[in-house]
Amino acid sequence: MELQEELKSKIIEALNLEDIQPEDIDDDAPLFGDDGFGLDSIDALELIVLLEKNYGIKISDPKTGKEIFKSINVMAEYVAANRKK
Amino acid sequence: MRTLHHVVITPHRVVVDEEQMTVTSSGKMMLKEIYQSNIGNYPKFYKMDMLCKLGFVASELLLQKEGNRNIGAKGVVDEENQRDDRAVILLNSSSSICDDRAYQATIDNLDDYFPSPMVFVYTLANIVTGEIALRNRYYGETNFYVLPQKDEKVMTQIVEDSFQDEHTTSAICGWLNCDDEDHFEADLYLVEK
Amino acid sequence: MIKVIADNITSPLGMTSSENYLKVKDGLSCLQSYEGVMDIPTPFTASLFTEEQWDALMQYGDYTRFESCLIHSIREALEGSDVDVSSPRVIFIISTTKGNVELLDSRSHRLKNRTTDEAVRLGNAALMIARYFGNPNIPVTVSNACISGLAAQLTAKRMLESGRYDYAIVAGADIQSRFIISGFQSFKALSPKVCRPFDIERCGLNLGEAAACMVFGRMTEQDTDDWVAVRGAVRNDANHISSPSRTAEGAYRAIAYAMADGDAEQLAVVNAHGTSTLYNDEMESVAIARSGLEHTPVNSLKGYYGHTMGAAGLLETILTMKSIDDHIILGTRGFQELGVSRSIRVIGEHIPTDKRGFLKLLSGFGGSNAAMLYQKGGRR
Repeated sequence: MELQEELKSKIIEALNLEDIQPEDIDDDAPLFGDDGFGLDSIDALELIVLLEKNYGIKISDPKTGKEIFKSINVMAEYVAANRKK
Repeated sequence: MRTLHHVVITPHRVVVDEEQMTVTSSGKMMLKEIYQSNIGNYPKFYKMDMLCKLGFVASELLLQKEGNRNIGAKGVVDEENQRDDRAVILLNSSSSICDDRAYQATIDNLDDYFPSPMVFVYTLANIVTGEIALRNRYYGETNFYVLPQKDEKVMTQIVEDSFQDEHTTSAICGWLNCDDEDHFEADLYLVEK
Repeated sequence: MIKVIADNITSPLGMTSSENYLKVKDGLSCLQSYEGVMDIPTPFTASLFTEEQWDALMQYGDYTRFESCLIHSIREALEGSDVDVSSPRVIFIISTTKGNVELLDSRSHRLKNRTTDEAVRLGNAALMIARYFGNPNIPVTVSNACISGLAAQLTAKRMLESGRYDYAIVAGADIQSRFIISGFQSFKALSPKVCRPFDIERCGLNLGEAAACMVFGRMTEQDTDDWVAVRGAVRNDANHISSPSRTAEGAYRAIAYAMADGDAEQLAVVNAHGTSTLYNDEMESVAIARSGLEHTPVNSLKGYYGHTMGAAGLLETILTMKSIDDHIILGTRGFQELGVSRSIRVIGEHIPTDKRGFLKLLSGFGGSNAAMLYQKGGRR
């Protein structure tokens, strides 16, 4: 599976986004903010756990997370460059 | 203290103002069924732990009986309709045990240690009072009490005492207990001074 | 109104209120960094009881650490009073967030007389404590996140003012464990170093262990020199379950209620929650400024004890009373340069005072906020 698609399904599962299908998430659309999927600060922290659990990426500063979680494409790029597993 | 509305939810039964509601599922699935058929448009519901889901559904059924609320685009009551005269006073005997176990499962094994913030936040029993307050824009008192077991007399006293707060004129109150996905009880009242 | 009859603080700094006060007055703290303890992979800074202290606290029978330190604190407080706790006119109110939760860990030891499932229920632990003291009433546990200690005092106030009870034993505690520490770490809420409330360099909170107890009775006309809990409230932000409101909605409203008949000029200090997280301290500065208290001294005691959770509202209230009795406003340990958006008057070093009232604030998860006004000798 393409990394983008993999991330989408993992995000939906980790954040309990039951009303959302992977195809509803645009690769370039913002994940957070009013235009996004109503995700909040706890979701951002949970995504940090997702990156560590699935890809061995450790993020200690939540501000770094904000940069990475801009969109699926940005996230996929970061994962591809930094993954340990 | 006068009771305006009363909701009872157990794993197989939902009673609103003494009238039984028709449900086809039970336990955790039943809460989802009621959310989808009678509430909706609040995706945060899916993120909640069992105790919050139970409290959210029970409070929604109570408030639907009260009449129309002005729920805005974001799924919460509009700022113009905020109020601080309604308290949310809940009690139980299991505190947040259901979610406590779920959180412990994310850290118990050292080789699979991934503490989950989304699970951890619900390991506080009072979060459900906050969920109800933010959905309805209640700036009033929210409080959570734990007793060794359900005790109507102590519950009534605590709720009656809460009306000593001069701003409080009504309350969503009562018993909200959740042991696990198949064992729970909501016995909530909407009362006024 | 209700008055304070007796109190105790049991903490890593000392086993009585006076011992704690004197250590804090000397600027001492047990906050230190821990690495490789409790099987927690990331180091943290906390104020924890030592093994020797636990040996001294675990002397009352088959009770958990949580129950033992509460029993100890209540016993010590009662030594200074003649309240008969076996009377049905006395109610026990316990303040805690997580009680015996450490027992859920598969490596925790098992109790002899109870199952883990029973012991992790907060009401069961409270019942064990009330029964230890021979109290016949059903104890009430207040579990309202970090504001529990003030919410418990407010509950005591209501129960005494309704006339149903004559005395309330309010006791609070939390014990640090993998459960709580890993959770706060997952929230990126812990400071790796000693916390710095309201400071520009602050980067999170420290956790702490303690138990504290306050014994309350109803105030009578004759009481002119007791500490009195005058007025208090709990209010919600109705904003988010873990982030405080940007406009400090709940805290502002709680303060407005507590200060309805109060006079800011009479306040020696606003003893803030001051956890040293970015968002809490910022929110409190907004609440304090919005309430017109920019010129009132503000302090936080988290730099001495860390965040003692269920004990915090009691421990910090007792210490503020002791300090005002000593004509001192305690400095905010760790504070150097104001790092919040409103220009509130955070006190770094101890300063003298001749005022006899203070406002205590707490805020916590679930959007909850509490404020209580205290006055020596009540309102006269």
